[in-house]
Amino acid sequence: MPLRDVQLVDASVPETATVAEAAATLFAASVPALAVLDDGGRVAGIFAEEDVLKAVFPRYLAEVRHTAFLSDDTPSLDEQARSVRDRPVREFARPVETLRADDSQVHAAERFIHTGQDALPVVDGESFVGMLSIAALCHARLERAQER
Amino acid sequence: MSALAVVIFVGALAAIAFDWAHRTKIALGGAALMVLLGIIDQEHAVEAIDWPTLGLLAGMMIIVALSEPTGIFTYIALRATQLSRGNPIALVFLLAFVTGVLSAFLDNLTSILLVVPITLLIADLLRLPPIPLVLIQVLASNIGGTATLIGDPPNILIGSHRSELSFMDFIVNLAPVSIVTLGVVSGLLALVYRASLHVEPERAAEIARLDPARDLREAKNVKRTLAVLVGTIVAFFAHSAIGVEPAVVALVGATVMLFVASDDVDEALGRVQWSTLLFFVGLFVMVGGLVEQGVVSDVAERLATLTEGSPTAEGLVILWTAAAGSALVDNIPFTTAMIPVVDEIQGGEFDDGLWWALALGACFGGNATIIAAAANVAATGILDRTGNHVSFLRFLAVGLPMTLVSLVIATAYLVLFQF
Repeated sequence: MPLRDVQLVDASVPETATVAEAAATLFAASVPALAVLDDGGRVAGIFAEEDVLKAVFPRYLAEVRHTAFLSDDTPSLDEQARSVRDRPVREFARPVETLRADDSQVHAAERFIHTGQDALPVVDGESFVGMLSIAALCHARLERAQER
Repeated sequence: MSALAVVIFVGALAAIAFDWAHRTKIALGGAALMVLLGIIDQEHAVEAIDWPTLGLLAGMMIIVALSEPTGIFTYIALRATQLSRGNPIALVFLLAFVTGVLSAFLDNLTSILLVVPITLLIADLLRLPPIPLVLIQVLASNIGGTATLIGDPPNILIGSHRSELSFMDFIVNLAPVSIVTLGVVSGLLALVYRASLHVEPERAAEIARLDPARDLREAKNVKRTLAVLVGTIVAFFAHSAIGVEPAVVALVGATVMLFVASDDVDEALGRVQWSTLLFFVGLFVMVGGLVEQGVVSDVAERLATLTEGSPTAEGLVILWTAAAGSALVDNIPFTTAMIPVVDEIQGGEFDDGLWWALALGACFGGNATIIAAAANVAATGILDRTGNHVSFLRFLAVGLPMTLVSLVIATAYLVLFQF
């Protein structure tokens, strides 16, 4: 069963969308990453939960291991969030490999394992078809096993 | 064959300096070439590896890796910041002091990896530019690391090579000059950066409200872990009196630490920087090749001729040569190559002054350029990852003048107190 037959989620934003708009779309979607699309509707990258985390919170958090002493009222935290909310999402999107709509599920599973991504964009030619999450892929496999 | 050995070694140094490939690959590649071309045979290559240095480094890596989750280093850095009460000049001196002391008793690279992330956080909270604060810490780490046998890789190499030099010998002979140099350099840097360091009173109040001990209270095994850390440092002070080598102190400390602070040995040993240890292995074999081919004794003879046998001149030539070499390449390979040269120069007589000259030159020289010491590379790497790029020239503009000041102080110290 190719990926086109698995439940894909139409979760995408144009690359000119703001970080706040992309974060809202991500919050409402049932996948942990959005496709970021260029003018022609092609996948320019993805904007995943970890990307919004790194954008909204200070970059030094990736380097420190102890932060229990910090309060959420710390002014610099609000300043960081304010400084990114209206910036275009393309500044925070990452290039990512895509899956093809006619790829097999086992290939998708192998790519999930080796890319470390929780969701990948699926394309048909150059057109974005939808986002495939690990949860959707595994759900489809389990349903198939029950049917058989 | 000796010319070939020199070409391989100098080529490796250049490749490291210009970052053509990972330094471990370069060192191992150079070592492999020397063995395969017969510059040094297999038996001598294995003998050339300084196992006490590797043991000391591996032991300290495990001890620090297992101490870090307690949050003790974050606590120390935050308390120092609070003590400054938002006064930027006091903050510069306190951060330099904390970094210098941590570097002396852990090692400068590890200290930088521990304190720079906290400094970025502090700079963010105080709305200060992070680059000046981090550069001050880098220079302080190289100066502070000079004070002890375990503080900086050149000292580890020297202390592991000459068992006559104890941990206390390093402190007695190098700590006073390091403290003076740290004070002078911190003062000059505070002057240089004073215009860009201004703290709003409400930001200082924000820092004062933080509870730096919170992570410490919530971590596991804190008391036992800190007891092993402090016990290991005390054992370093006493190693000569109890007849135990520093490498044994570090490895026993690491073993005890594994018992008290690690549930997963594989995970704990995964924190050992194997690439650094193998970098040292490659360097030892390459320098072994230079020794085998008589290159080291040639260099030593030329230096002896140049200095006409005067111990003061020998010491000062070693100091400034080690500093220049460390600045141009990296103080680890340069010290590895200089150690057999100093052995040759002093011949049968042991003169500790020449070793202090080498330690001061290599450690202080580590401040001159961005590539001169591993701590510089690590700190600027963290700055880069957080969007604060420091170019080679920007580092040089601060590092070189401070290195020259440090070397002038070291020269005066050697002339007045060692020769």
